[in-house]
Amino acid sequence: MKGNYGIKSILLILIIGVLTYISIAGLSIPGTEINIEKVADTIRYGIDIRGGVRAVLTAPAGIDPTEDQMNAAKAVVENRLDYQRVYDRTVLLEKANKRIIVEIPWRQDEKDFDPQKAINELGMTALLTFREVDTEKVDEYGNYLPLDDKIILKGNDVKKATPEMDTNTGKVYVRLELTSEGSKKFEEATERLVGKPIAIFMDEQLISAPNVREKISGGNAVIEMGNTDTDTATKEATSLANTINAGALEFKLEAAQIESISPILGKNALNVILLAGLVASILIGLFMLLYYRLPGIIADIALLFQIVVQVLIISSVGMSLTLAGIAGIILSIGMGVDANVIIYERIKEEIRAGKTVRAAIDVGFDRAFAAIFDGNITTLIVAVVLYVLGSGPIQSFAFTLGIGVLLNFITAIVISRTFQRTVSGFKITKNRWLYGVRGGSSNV
Amino acid sequence: MFDFVGKRKYFFGFSTLILIACIVGLIVNQGLNLDIQFRGGTILEFQMENSSFDLNLAKQLVEQEIGKIVSPQSSYSLDTNNERVDLLVLSIASKLTQEEHDKVVSVIEENFKVKEGTKPTPRAVDAAMGKEMAVKSIIAVAIAALLMVIYVWIRFKIMGGLLAGVSAVIALLHDVMVMITLYAVFRLPVNESFIAAVLTIVGYSINDTIVIFDRIRENSTLNKKDSLEDITNKSINQSLSRTINTALTTVLAVTTVYIFASYYNIESIKLFMLPMLVGLISGTYSTIFIASPVWVILKNYQAKRQAASKLKNA
Repeated sequence: MKGNYGIKSILLILIIGVLTYISIAGLSIPGTEINIEKVADTIRYGIDIRGGVRAVLTAPAGIDPTEDQMNAAKAVVENRLDYQRVYDRTVLLEKANKRIIVEIPWRQDEKDFDPQKAINELGMTALLTFREVDTEKVDEYGNYLPLDDKIILKGNDVKKATPEMDTNTGKVYVRLELTSEGSKKFEEATERLVGKPIAIFMDEQLISAPNVREKISGGNAVIEMGNTDTDTATKEATSLANTINAGALEFKLEAAQIESISPILGKNALNVILLAGLVASILIGLFMLLYYRLPGIIADIALLFQIVVQVLIISSVGMSLTLAGIAGIILSIGMGVDANVIIYERIKEEIRAGKTVRAAIDVGFDRAFAAIFDGNITTLIVAVVLYVLGSGPIQSFAFTLGIGVLLNFITAIVISRTFQRTVSGFKITKNRWLYGVRGGSSNV
Repeated sequence: MFDFVGKRKYFFGFSTLILIACIVGLIVNQGLNLDIQFRGGTILEFQMENSSFDLNLAKQLVEQEIGKIVSPQSSYSLDTNNERVDLLVLSIASKLTQEEHDKVVSVIEENFKVKEGTKPTPRAVDAAMGKEMAVKSIIAVAIAALLMVIYVWIRFKIMGGLLAGVSAVIALLHDVMVMITLYAVFRLPVNESFIAAVLTIVGYSINDTIVIFDRIRENSTLNKKDSLEDITNKSINQSLSRTINTALTTVLAVTTVYIFASYYNIESIKLFMLPMLVGLISGTYSTIFIASPVWVILKNYQAKRQAASKLKNA
């Protein structure tokens, strides 16, 4: 029993050590493709923290959109940014001049800080079309050219797009669920065009042009991704599905004016937040150590794990980290500390009640579990609801909090417990002082 | 053992005072001080001689001049000759009258090096987070609260389920009320920081309440004969050191960030941390002094009604 926990503990410490090292210093192994940058550089910070780009978008000359169309265009831009997890965008409608003002944060890997390039992130009109093509007319690459007058399906005929993979062939595609009207149109067209290609365009770019084998009814269509490797294809499929789901613009948006903007929180905000966060963490760590002694060390290691993994996840999904997101992190760290406090207070109580240290630890974890479980599940419910129904800062908060709460479980229940079991196996650690309980050794 | 439940009228009285302050604050200050994201307003762009200008100073001067919330930013763009143009951008949370506009322009021109011969471009913008989004967010929070009640209902059957859930939500509303009081009375700008701070406190308050309820649940099973008051007092006293230590560590962390923000003079982070601090204290307070006594009252009331109806039926 004891040895078992010992090995597990050593493994855990190794894992935590490596993860912490990677997130602080990055990891690059010469000769391999492994090259991870340190996490502070790979997080996409929000406009409020690092600044970004502001662009004024207008309809192209000659098009005079209605107010409703402008509102729709604004909604599409917002949706698209939500799908990209750019939660801290500002999308403003300037009604009088029919312009949309968009602000987005710099990308995490931004090197040249060129506002023009940054704004291309939302440059597309995202007009999805299924078109009949003239098989005679191809461009120099052998791709079909769009025929404007023969559109079979448009983006608004699609109810939902999902990226999927055929587990047998490994082929990646986007499944389109069509509206009832869309299904009718698609059925009619596929019946008429058996043996001929239908070209699928995103804006003016051909995505694929499959041949129709038979009439397709039932309201489903698929867009197969190209023959790239699975990883790239999956990424492309996800991004395509997201763009389709975000909705299409009825007209192209042109960027009339593009500027860089400074962080809303002030120029120094990021450094101050990082520094203050570090100092606050050290203070909490010291408090735990001084107050709870031996278990305090364990709690500190467990909390380190929680913070490091949370930050790594945030950086790897590329969400933009804003003040609201940081609030989510702070809350989950607070709850992580709380979980440990609950456990160790309970253990102290049980030792005071006359139990042996070993028994007190077991009972302490068991009794504390219900409280931690219910507290975390309730918070998780809130996080999930806010993530699904909210947008912008609310979603950003819900995302970091949700991850934090899940990690909390693992940390408090699995990691702390394994460590605690291990150390309580040693004779010296049976001293009650080590658990912050007054007076001599426990009656082992 | 401190009698938390017995002294409840003092705590209820204290919270009622805050509620009154909240209402008075909202009436006197005509609602919350909404920032440009929620209210819409005007964005003014000045072309500057160079990129070195003090944003804080610009904010202070303009706010003094017209009494509206101002968020300053520095910015640059490239002109047609590909030359860098430095910009001072002021987001003002209000539509400006011509007079106000002129005041802003003259105070900036007097105190900063605005590029000669240029005029600022004003843009009137709508709220980025308008009514639609506010409604959407409130629905999201309401559904979250409802699901929370249902979960507590299922998990805390021995505490009367629904009653425990309702008590937890009352504590939650209490904390939101305290934060709104802070924003209303001191006219703090209500922007995204407000949303973030309120959400954090909502999460903190729920967790804090659930942990005490867990202890009440445990003690209810162990000591079935004891009165609700005794069980509740015992539970609060038993978990007191946990409550204090958790509150202490979180307050320590938030205070640290606040001190750093003050030292480096970053107003926006101070304005985020201060409500958070107040909310943390309120969240801890409401668990002990609101959620638990309210639960005792509800449970006793329910017991009385059940006894009465039994008598009737007998």
